[in-house]
Amino acid sequence: MYKKFLLVICLLLILTMSVSVFAQDQVTIRFRSWSPVINTTLAMIEAFNEDNPNITIEPDITNYPEYLVDLQTMASADALPDLVGLQPGALTQQYREHLMPMQDCAVATWGEDWQDQFYPIGIEQARLGNPEGDDNIYGLPVLTHTINMWYTVPVFEEAGVEGPPTTYDELKELADMFNSMGVAPVMIGATDGWIRRDIYMQLIHNIAPGLIYEAEDGNASFTEEPFVEAMTWWKRFFDDGIFQIGALGMTHYPAAVEQIQGGRAAMFPMGAWWQQQAANPNPPPLDQNIQGYAPFLFPDVTGEGQPTDLLGGIDVMMGVSRNTAHPEEACKVITDWISGAGAQALINTYNDLPAYIGLEPEYFGSERQKGIWELFTKEWLPTVKYARELKNSDVKQALENALAGVAAGEMTPAEGMQLLEDARDASM
Amino acid sequence: MSRKWLIDNQGLFFMAPAMILFVVFVLYPIFYIFNASMYDWDGINEAIYVGVQNYIEMFTDDRAFALSIRNSIYWTLLTIFPQMILGFILAYILTSNIPFQNVFRIIFFMPAIVSPVVLGIIWQRIYAPFGGLLADLGREIGAMFLIQPYIADPKIAIFSTIFVNVWQWTGFSMLMYVAGLQGLSQEVLSAAEVDGAGTRQRIQFIILPMLRHVHLTLILLGVIGTLQTFALVFMLTKGGPNHATEMLPTYIFQKAFTLQSMGYASAVAVVLLVIALSASIFQVRVLGSRFTIGN
Repeated sequence: MYKKFLLVICLLLILTMSVSVFAQDQVTIRFRSWSPVINTTLAMIEAFNEDNPNITIEPDITNYPEYLVDLQTMASADALPDLVGLQPGALTQQYREHLMPMQDCAVATWGEDWQDQFYPIGIEQARLGNPEGDDNIYGLPVLTHTINMWYTVPVFEEAGVEGPPTTYDELKELADMFNSMGVAPVMIGATDGWIRRDIYMQLIHNIAPGLIYEAEDGNASFTEEPFVEAMTWWKRFFDDGIFQIGALGMTHYPAAVEQIQGGRAAMFPMGAWWQQQAANPNPPPLDQNIQGYAPFLFPDVTGEGQPTDLLGGIDVMMGVSRNTAHPEEACKVITDWISGAGAQALINTYNDLPAYIGLEPEYFGSERQKGIWELFTKEWLPTVKYARELKNSDVKQALENALAGVAAGEMTPAEGMQLLEDARDASM
Repeated sequence: MSRKWLIDNQGLFFMAPAMILFVVFVLYPIFYIFNASMYDWDGINEAIYVGVQNYIEMFTDDRAFALSIRNSIYWTLLTIFPQMILGFILAYILTSNIPFQNVFRIIFFMPAIVSPVVLGIIWQRIYAPFGGLLADLGREIGAMFLIQPYIADPKIAIFSTIFVNVWQWTGFSMLMYVAGLQGLSQEVLSAAEVDGAGTRQRIQFIILPMLRHVHLTLILLGVIGTLQTFALVFMLTKGGPNHATEMLPTYIFQKAFTLQSMGYASAVAVVLLVIALSASIFQVRVLGSRFTIGN
């Protein structure tokens, strides 16, 4: 009896040890982000796991505002997950101390010339806001984008309009016509600070390309004429009825988007990421194969023509926690999602433009949809010279506040720009 | 520690669990927040001691904070009393002999059980001047005055937000008054009727004074609700446009988690705590706590 008992104990011990040995090979990587959306992330994980069954990825995807809260809470507890989604500039800089430099991972995966395999703007912006002398890359770019305008094709056709406006006068003429038809000329959910900022960034890019980044660095003043002029144009968009009535009380996601999808907007500001509408489950008719929309450049307000380059850069980058217990596996996941099977799964959803050169969706629903994709990746993205994002979070917030205040008529454009000047000075 | 000491002080041991929980979950966070309010801190990186600088900035150079105080006052005055008046009128009607009383009570109370998050989303769609319910209705019936930037115009946004809150909680006030009215002594009311008191006189001199405990309870709950207002405002307007509907809790959230100014947010939280404490002390001292419902 005693021998039998001993045998059972020994067998159990062997079983336990073998399970723990097996378990040591199985690594779990925790990933938190606001993007890609959960269904896309799950598809990326599935694609990655086909060749890497020993790495379990636990995703947690939330909306961007909630994600920021989540990130801050985890960072203050020094408990960042292994992988985190990042944006270039202010957000990455805020968590820089908690992130691992990624260039060794990149060299190990793609070789010494790895930077040549990415769109240049992605590499440039990955370091946005690094302190002087710090050449590390704290997050690798996964997705890139441009910001631009879109118009709703059936709305234009119904109104007998042949193409999108290229100047402010044309825009105003169309706005008057669409207003009289009960259609929003330019639908914008200006409750959201980011969309206000996107419009201003395109205005100042039209008026004085590159000047805002100099002002951010303290080499120019935000109270200079071009900035005030751009802010005056912003106000004029409201006063002239370019934006729909009540724009300041509407969110861009989901309120404005619902109206756009319902065909009640003639034009709207969005970016390359709008293509992802085609991959949503049960898309409304306009979204199917993105057939109801067409992208165009922000109309010129200067009378000197539209800029030949667009604003944009990195949409999503990913970083690895400095405290991760599995840096190699984390590197493996990120690099797969940038250029491997996971990346292909990601790009197949048209989520945004790839950061890695040469990737494209395996399937397009129509030639037109393919044409839009190629317009972004082959013509527009390579021209991107300036960032959509600002690197100083105080200036960024001041800009969003100023835009709200000016649009609401509670401050003048000059007073609005003074807010930015003060915020920049206080943070330097 | 003698046996006698243990027996004499056994009450301490019974109190200990509650005291420990109080210290850990109430006192410690208060001291922590107070301490944090003295720092320039983003919640992640090293904090820099700035003394009372956050408070000085708040009271001298912070328009959003001033607006959130103004809005709290508006909210207190324009939600509590209208809700009480409307709630009483509805309760009075629904305790009279009218048909389908219970159906109406359920209908009027229903908004109170819906999450403010859901209400925020619904009312955003009702208010939207483009594609919103009111705007579309206005276009359909030719009532163009209905097309207004209800939550987009800083001058009216706070009142539009307050309206939603009144709409939501009037049913709750009604229910409290229904309970109060049903508990009134029928003998007193009958005696007044026999003495020749009309409806107005009975309401003014008998019913309203006898419902004092309900009024005080509603004021107490209203003040607490005002100081906690977050979800409805956050979902409906996010405190905008340009802070026009900012409340102290939404401002604290924005400062702490959007602008990453944890130290400054802590200072605003301390001010909120002081206001809440002052309101509680005023309520207990001046209005008295004995007359709330249930006593």
